[in-house]
Amino acid sequence: MNPKRCAACKYLRRRCPKDCIFAPYFPPNDPAKFACIHRIYGAGNVSKMLQQLPDQTRAEAVESLCFEAKCRVDDPVYGCVGIIHLLQTQIQNAQNELAKTQAEVAVAQTKLSQTQNSDF
Amino acid sequence: MAGPGSSPCASCKLLRRRCAKDCIFAPYFPPDDPHKFAIVHKVFGASNVSKMLQELPVHQRADAVNSLVFEANARVRDPVYGCVGAISYLQNQVSQLQMQLAVAQAEILCIQMQNEPTLQSHHHVLELDQDHKALLLQNNNNNINNCSNNNNNNNNNLGYAMSSGQFNSNFASPSSIMQMQMQMQMQDPLKQESLWT
Repeated sequence: MNPKRCAACKYLRRRCPKDCIFAPYFPPNDPAKFACIHRIYGAGNVSKMLQQLPDQTRAEAVESLCFEAKCRVDDPVYGCVGIIHLLQTQIQNAQNELAKTQAEVAVAQTKLSQTQNSDF
Repeated sequence: MAGPGSSPCASCKLLRRRCAKDCIFAPYFPPDDPHKFAIVHKVFGASNVSKMLQELPVHQRADAVNSLVFEANARVRDPVYGCVGAISYLQNQVSQLQMQLAVAQAEILCIQMQNEPTLQSHHHVLELDQDHKALLLQNNNNNINNCSNNNNNNNNNLGYAMSSGQFNSNFASPSSIMQMQMQMQMQDPLKQESLWT
């Protein structure tokens, strides 16, 4: 038995086996991380998801799951989809602003070349 | 229990149980779209979804279900990064657009300076042009506070379509994305309007 249980096994009040699937990603010093992910996805679903992934991608999968879980806790209606919407709005605004500015550049360049021609 | 002649909702069909009159899933998971509940159940689990819906007022549940379906689809398509891949991609697009905007604004400034009659001789103005441009570009790039610090990973060709929910993923570090999230929420409050119209 692992003398120091991972955060997941502590939370689930069970033994932490040597090959615990959660142990590498949920250290005992950060209980909130597992609590958040468990609240949204459930330990069973997270375990299944991790088992279906190769070892080298599991850490990033856990991080992205934690991020999405935190977004969902912060915004129970839209979760991280709200962020996507916000970014799309920012992109639209930036595209409009860029088009407007590029039009201004074109006008300014025309004026400049007219000024330069009249100088000659 | 579902009334005589009406079929159980998609969730009760999948869970093989009676569909109660007040089934919490029934309004959002009609029987003609079994895939919708199946995918949400696969990622989140029926009991978690039920708990989440119970904690929300009724008028917000439809939007919540739609966002859960979106996230579940994203996670099934990309089991490693899920929605975070899309966020990273869009964040990179925002940064690129802001840089292009800064360059365009610098160009206008350069042109305006060239038009200023108080500048020295025409020849000298032309020589200054490139230096001013470089200096303004440098200053503008330093002042762009919203750029992610992790654009290194975004060299792949990422196709993303919000409407069809298809995208490939590329993932900046989660801590940078969470910082970005906090920045955005401070600068541009999240508009809680419907995303689905």
